[in-house]
Amino acid sequence: MTTVEERPDALPAAPEAAHADHATHTGSTNAKLAMWLFLSSDCLFFGAFISTFLLYRDRPGQTGPTPSDLFNIPFTSITSFILLMSSLTMVLALAAIQRGDMRRFRIWLIATALFGVTFIGGQIFEFTEFSRQGLNIDTSLFGSSFFVLTGLHGTHVVIGIIWLMSLWGLSMQEHMGQGDAERVEIAGLYWHFVDVVWIVIFTVVYLVPN
Amino acid sequence: MSTEGTAAPGTVATTASSETELERFEDLVPDAALRHAPGLLPGELKEHPDPLQYVIVAVVLVVITGIEIGTSYLEGSIPNGLLIGLLLVMAFVKFFLVASWFMHLRTDQPVFRRFFIIGSIAAVLLYAAVLLMLHVSF
Repeated sequence: MTTVEERPDALPAAPEAAHADHATHTGSTNAKLAMWLFLSSDCLFFGAFISTFLLYRDRPGQTGPTPSDLFNIPFTSITSFILLMSSLTMVLALAAIQRGDMRRFRIWLIATALFGVTFIGGQIFEFTEFSRQGLNIDTSLFGSSFFVLTGLHGTHVVIGIIWLMSLWGLSMQEHMGQGDAERVEIAGLYWHFVDVVWIVIFTVVYLVPN
Repeated sequence: MSTEGTAAPGTVATTASSETELERFEDLVPDAALRHAPGLLPGELKEHPDPLQYVIVAVVLVVITGIEIGTSYLEGSIPNGLLIGLLLVMAFVKFFLVASWFMHLRTDQPVFRRFFIIGSIAAVLLYAAVLLMLHVSF
């Protein structure tokens, strides 16, 4: 088997110290760089499902309820407002840990997770209501594309909540301190991305007329 | 395995020449990009905004969302094209505010901005092309 040392085109090994904090030549860490690359690719991921929704939303010949029969704009506006506020509490949590104020950090972090749980609760209510009115994932192309798009977004939110709760748990056990601010920033980047995706979904799926 | 000074032909890992190559590469990167000032997180160029600025941005986001919802009720009163244009512009402003202030793209290394802009623009262009090809319009 060929090892790295035997490959003539291999990159030279970096000094040991460079690996200590996973630094890169951008001045950032590998973790933060990787998160930004992931978010960049996730734009394409969500773009695919938003496009699919636009493609299938009002295809002729579909059975079952239509978007205008189902969408409850005041209700979805409230859940959107909640998700926007969770982005505010997330940056306030980051600002608190950067100051070394661990008490406020925990408060803002748990508030962010609770806002996320409320948003998911709203989404479950909405899905249940739509199902009660006759729209399920297999009812029509509109139903399939709507549930897949919003369900995938909801899955991202649930992953974010688990991530935030794990940071909160570590902090409660005093395994986190001011020096871990970057870990919070990376979790925050993911959380804000989930928020910006919802900004697009809310406008394109709910507000833009058919 | 090779060791320094006794490298076999074709080996690179810890030879003196490879160290020189690494140093030469590091010389190409600006010093500011390799270090972060005390109090700043890795990858940050300037300090993050203070909590009051975050609150102001959040208030602006809420106001825009309110206007956006109000605008959506104008369906039928104004041309659909105008309505859709207004809604998309407001969504873009909200997207921009969250990305630049809350995700700190305005204070972090430009490389992150490039990653995100490339991803976002690629998504918009790719799927706009696909939707146009399939004759989908709002």
